[in-house]
Amino acid sequence: MPSFDLLLRHPLLRTLTLALACLLAACNRADDPVYHDQFFAFGTLIDLTFFDVDTALAEQASRALEQAFMQMHNDWHAWQPGALQQVNAGLAGQGQASVDPAMAALIQEANRLSVLSNGLFNPVIGRLVAIWGFHHDEPPQGPPPARDRIRQLLEQAPASTDIRVDGGHISSRNPAVRYDLGAFAKGYAIDRGIERLKALGITHAIINAGGDLRAIGRHGQRPWRIGIRDPRQPGVLASIEPAGDESVFTSGDYERFYEYEGRRYHHIIDPRSGYPAGAAVSATVIHPVAATADAAATALFVAGPDAWPAIARQMGVKYAMLVDREGRIHMNPAMKTRLTFESEPDTIVMSETL
Amino acid sequence: MTRADRVLMAIVLCSLPLLYLHFWTPGAADYSDSAGGVTQGADAGTATVLRIQSAGTAANTTPLAPDRQIQVPGPMGESTIEIRAGQARFLESPCPGKVCVHSGWLSEAGQLAACLPNRISIQLLGSRPRFDAINF
Amino acid sequence: MQIQTTAEDQRIAWLAALAITIHILESAFPSPLPGVKPGLANVITIVVLMEFGWRSAAWVSLLRVLCGSLLLGTFLTPTFLLSLSGAVCSIGILWLACRLPGRGFGPVGFSLLAALAHMTGQFTIAWLLFIPHPALWRLFPVLLTAALLFGTVSGIIAGGISNRQQQCTT
Repeated sequence: MPSFDLLLRHPLLRTLTLALACLLAACNRADDPVYHDQFFAFGTLIDLTFFDVDTALAEQASRALEQAFMQMHNDWHAWQPGALQQVNAGLAGQGQASVDPAMAALIQEANRLSVLSNGLFNPVIGRLVAIWGFHHDEPPQGPPPARDRIRQLLEQAPASTDIRVDGGHISSRNPAVRYDLGAFAKGYAIDRGIERLKALGITHAIINAGGDLRAIGRHGQRPWRIGIRDPRQPGVLASIEPAGDESVFTSGDYERFYEYEGRRYHHIIDPRSGYPAGAAVSATVIHPVAATADAAATALFVAGPDAWPAIARQMGVKYAMLVDREGRIHMNPAMKTRLTFESEPDTIVMSETL
Repeated sequence: MTRADRVLMAIVLCSLPLLYLHFWTPGAADYSDSAGGVTQGADAGTATVLRIQSAGTAANTTPLAPDRQIQVPGPMGESTIEIRAGQARFLESPCPGKVCVHSGWLSEAGQLAACLPNRISIQLLGSRPRFDAINF
Repeated sequence: MQIQTTAEDQRIAWLAALAITIHILESAFPSPLPGVKPGLANVITIVVLMEFGWRSAAWVSLLRVLCGSLLLGTFLTPTFLLSLSGAVCSIGILWLACRLPGRGFGPVGFSLLAALAHMTGQFTIAWLLFIPHPALWRLFPVLLTAALLFGTVSGIIAGGISNRQQQCTT
C-alpha cells in the first residue's frame, strides 16, 4: 500500500513534515491583509489591529500611537510624577493649579461623566484608591485599610462638583480631591488614538488597551468580531460585531485585585462606601465614545444589578450587560439583539428599554 | 476496468479537488485540538504562526513547529516561550507576579498573552481567527 | 511435533513471503515521491484477492505487516502501528467492496480503494497519536493524490498478472 510512514519515522523528518505543513498553511496567509502591532502603555498591553492598510503607513501609524500613548500615560498617571500629579499637588496645596488645554479638556470630560453617573464614577477619589493600595503596578498584598481611615476620607466627600475649570485654571473648594483617572484615561486615550488613525487615513482598525477597545470600520467583507470574556471561567461568554465605530468596555472584579484572609479586594472602589463595590462581577458597555464607555462601565459596576439601568440612561448608554455574583446576566433588550452567546445563559434578567 | 472501477475513479477524481479546496482554504477547515482537549467551533481559525514582540524591538513571527523553547530578552531578563503541539505559552519569566505564566496555553488564532513587567507579548496568528479582539 | 498445514496455508505462506520480499525491497530503494512509498506489495494483495478471495488476501496482508516489521526491526514501533492501521483499513474496505452486487470492482477499483483506505487509516492514526497539529491536515489531500496514483498503477499491474476479471469471493 502507498504509505507515508517514512515521513514520521525519524524525528528530523517528522519535524520537516510538520514544517512543510505549516508552510502550506502559511502560503494561504500571504495575502492576509491584517496588520498587528503591540506596545506597552497605561500599565497594560495596547494591541493594534489594522485591516487593509499599506505596511509602511501601518508602521508609521503604530509608532505615532505608541508615542502618543506613552505621552498621555506619563501626563495622566495617577501616582507617578507627571502633569496630573502637578494638578493634584496644586489642588491639595493652594486649592488651585494651572492646566494646559489638553488637560483641561480631559478633566472637564471626566467631571461631566461623573455628574451624569450620580458620582458613581468619581475621578477625584485618588486618596481612597491609594489607601487600598492600588497605586502600584503590582497588586498589593493587603491588609485592607482600617475602617476609621476609610470613614475619615469619606467624610471629606471629594466630588467632581467641587472642581471648577476656567480656561487654563482649575480650582477646588475641597482640599480632599485627588484625581485618579484609572477608570477613564484609557478610554479617553483610545479616542485620541482613533482620531489620530482617522487623520492618517486609516478607516478599519481596532485599538485594544488591555481588553477595552474601540473598533472602526470592518474586517473586509465582514464586520469586526469581538469576544467578551467570561468573568468567571476561561473562554468567551458572548461575541459582538461593532457597527462602524463603537467601543466595548468591561469593568470586572478580576482585573486588579488581591486576596487577604480569604477575601477578595478588587480595584473598583464604591465612592459611597469606600469599599470595593460588591454586587456585580462585571459590567460591559457598548458606546460610540471610548471615554464614555470606560466611565460608564465603572459606574454601572458600582451601581450594581438594581440601579444600573437608571445610571445607563443618564449617561446615554444604549447597550449594557451586567453579570452579578450569582452569575445571572442582566441586560437591556437592545443589548440582547447585539450579543451572540457561546452557550445560551441560564438566566437573563431583562431590564426596561434604555 | 469494470463499470464500478470507472465510477469509483470518477468519484475519487471529483472529490480530490474538493478536499484541496476544503483543507487549503483559509479558515475553511478546523479540527478538535486534541492537545488542548478543546473542540473548536465551526468558525474557529487555526493558528499558523506565533508573533513574539519584545518592547523596543521589531516583532518576530515564528512557525508553530517544531516543538521548542524560545528565549526572549526583556528589561528584566529572559522570558522563555514554549511551543508545543501547535500551542504556545510563557513557560518562565523573571517577573514577580508570573501573570504571564499563569495565563496558560494559547491555542487559537488571535489569542494573546503578555508579560507586562518584562515587556514581552505573544500572539497566535491564523488566517481566520474566531475573534478579532477580546474584551475583558 | 508436526503442524498440519493445508494447501491453502502453504499458498498463503508463499504469497506472504513474496509480499514481504517486495515490501522490504521497496523500503531499501528511494521512492519517486519523497517520503511516500508506492506500496507495490499492494499488487500481491490484489492479485491474491482476485485469484483466491478475501480471506487469503487478508492473511497475506497482515502477515506482510507483521513479518515485514519483524525483519525490518520496526515491530511495535510507531511505524508498525501505522502500517497495521493502514492494512486493517484497506482489508476492511476490500471486505465491503467484495459485497458489491453485480459484476463489481476489477483489480484497479480494488487497488484504488485499498490504497485510499490505507492512507486514510495511517493518516488518522498519525494525527491522533504522533502529530496532533491541525496544519498536518494540509498534507492530507496531497497524500490522497499520491494514493490515487500509486493505487491505480498497482491495480493495473495486478490486472496484468491476474487474468481473472471476475468478482472476488470471500
